[in-house]
Amino acid sequence: MPQIVVENLSKTYRVPEREPGLGAALKSLFRRKHREVEAVRDISFIVETGEVVGFIGPNGAGKTTTLKMLSGLLHPSSGGARVIGAVPWERKPAYLRRISMVLGNKSQILWDIPPVDSFRVLGEIYNVPLLEFRETLDELVALLDMEDLLHKPTRNLSLGERMKCELVAGLLHRPDVLFLDEPTLGLDVSMQTRLRRFLAEYNLRRGVTMILTSHYMADVVALCARVILIHHGCLLYDGALSGLARKLAPFKLIKVSLGNGHMSAGADPQLPTGVELLQRDNGQLTLRVGHDDAPGITAKLLNTLPVLDLSVEDPPIEAVIDQIYGDGAVNLEETL
Amino acid sequence: MNLRGAWALIKRTWLSWLQERSFFFLLAFGWMISPLIYLFVWSTAAGAGTVVGMTRGEFVAYYLILILVNQLTYATSNWTVGDMIRYGYLSGQLLRPLSPFFDTLASEIAGRVVFMTFVIPVTTILAFVLRPELQITLGNGLAFVPALAMAWALRFIWGYALALLAFWATRADALVALQDAFIFLLAGQVAPTVLLPGALQSASVVLPFRYMLGFPVEVLMGSLGQAEVVRGFVLQACWLALALIAFLTIWRAGMKRYSAVGG
Repeated sequence: MPQIVVENLSKTYRVPEREPGLGAALKSLFRRKHREVEAVRDISFIVETGEVVGFIGPNGAGKTTTLKMLSGLLHPSSGGARVIGAVPWERKPAYLRRISMVLGNKSQILWDIPPVDSFRVLGEIYNVPLLEFRETLDELVALLDMEDLLHKPTRNLSLGERMKCELVAGLLHRPDVLFLDEPTLGLDVSMQTRLRRFLAEYNLRRGVTMILTSHYMADVVALCARVILIHHGCLLYDGALSGLARKLAPFKLIKVSLGNGHMSAGADPQLPTGVELLQRDNGQLTLRVGHDDAPGITAKLLNTLPVLDLSVEDPPIEAVIDQIYGDGAVNLEETL
Repeated sequence: MNLRGAWALIKRTWLSWLQERSFFFLLAFGWMISPLIYLFVWSTAAGAGTVVGMTRGEFVAYYLILILVNQLTYATSNWTVGDMIRYGYLSGQLLRPLSPFFDTLASEIAGRVVFMTFVIPVTTILAFVLRPELQITLGNGLAFVPALAMAWALRFIWGYALALLAFWATRADALVALQDAFIFLLAGQVAPTVLLPGALQSASVVLPFRYMLGFPVEVLMGSLGQAEVVRGFVLQACWLALALIAFLTIWRAGMKRYSAVGG
């Protein structure tokens, strides 16, 4: 059943701008120039109940603007959306009780008091019955292994520990839909892994629908079977993560180690046609071949060369995303 | 209305502020300095005689009550609302099923309690040392309560409405500073309003600032005639109604703007 339905959603901001320098600053006191920025352009998608969708795109692509519209913080310029059957920007209390948004760079937890006090207040604000509040808090604390953090003043917690508290704060009222904006921002690798594991397990347990934005591809790879890619406010791709790699980088990497005789000669071995040698390193060659040609070329390599070891891999997702975020992004709309 | 949530917010703000009590005590002490200076100036000026009918002891009583009323009506949150809007922290509050107004109201109510834990003992000690002359009648005491409540509401709502202009102007808190300057001049701080020269005294009667601070003090002191008290209440109620209308209008328009430009 669709939990989030987005239809032709657009958002245009009107932003003031001025030339550099004192003269321009004085001039802007009397006459302000504005320019229109199309942050989100005519995007449509559907998210089913319990799905975890990765919302990816470079800085300024329109990810956070879309999440803010879906959580009710922003009015769209045009188009519509329904989340759990409600129009988000009407911000009805009944709707706000069923969603949650965790922002990696903004806190719901008060700095001067222990997190447990902030949690109690949130329980009251969301009208969570006491028994349910205790059950949920115990469950979340156990999942995140943070019993010892509950009674420390928040100011004494590390960034990762505070992020754990933000997640608890966002989930205490058992939302049906969770919007996560950069939840692992600034955390070390180990804390990122723990939070990903927690989110995956929580999604399995509670069947919460999640939309996640992150610049760490590891977050997306670990949690999201489906990704939505936006760039310059336009939806460029909506589908499986593996499909994104295949579409953008329709090749495979073959890593092959050859016997000593072949590698020490200095010259590259005779390679089948359609193979591009990318790297030669410590007796290992990295070859790039067309996605569909990979099986045939692998067989040829095994037949014609003294292969000690061979592996066929997809290109790393980071490399694929880098291609989108980089200068080549302009051509991407044509590619897709 | 979610009263459970609102009460929880008040308790949370108490807990948070009590962690920083030394900061708030210093803040409260700072607010006492200016009335204390004028207490000494006017009580010295009165000496053994009177100034416009007020004795030294009456000046002491006036300023000690003014210190209490000032701390009970000073809306600290008016200084923080602008930052909440400017830095986008309002977004976190808007995501919850409780109006952000309650966060501000909770700060105000919690603040009064924290400030009073400092101000009441200090003014009591000052009263023992400086020997005020004060005779409170039952009528004045009863009239003081609504005058004080409306003074708090007027100062809070008026300042809140000004602070909400941060939806449009980056540093709207300059207007809150301007309001403080008018209160200093026209609300009975620099001098009881009866001592102000003609034009300023007339302005103080008509403008809202006296009804945010000086009016309840004058009511409790019994320095106003019955007609003046009634006129004062009418003007205070009118300014409060106007402040509420301004607040609601700015709030609605501001929320529309915030949801158009984002936090």
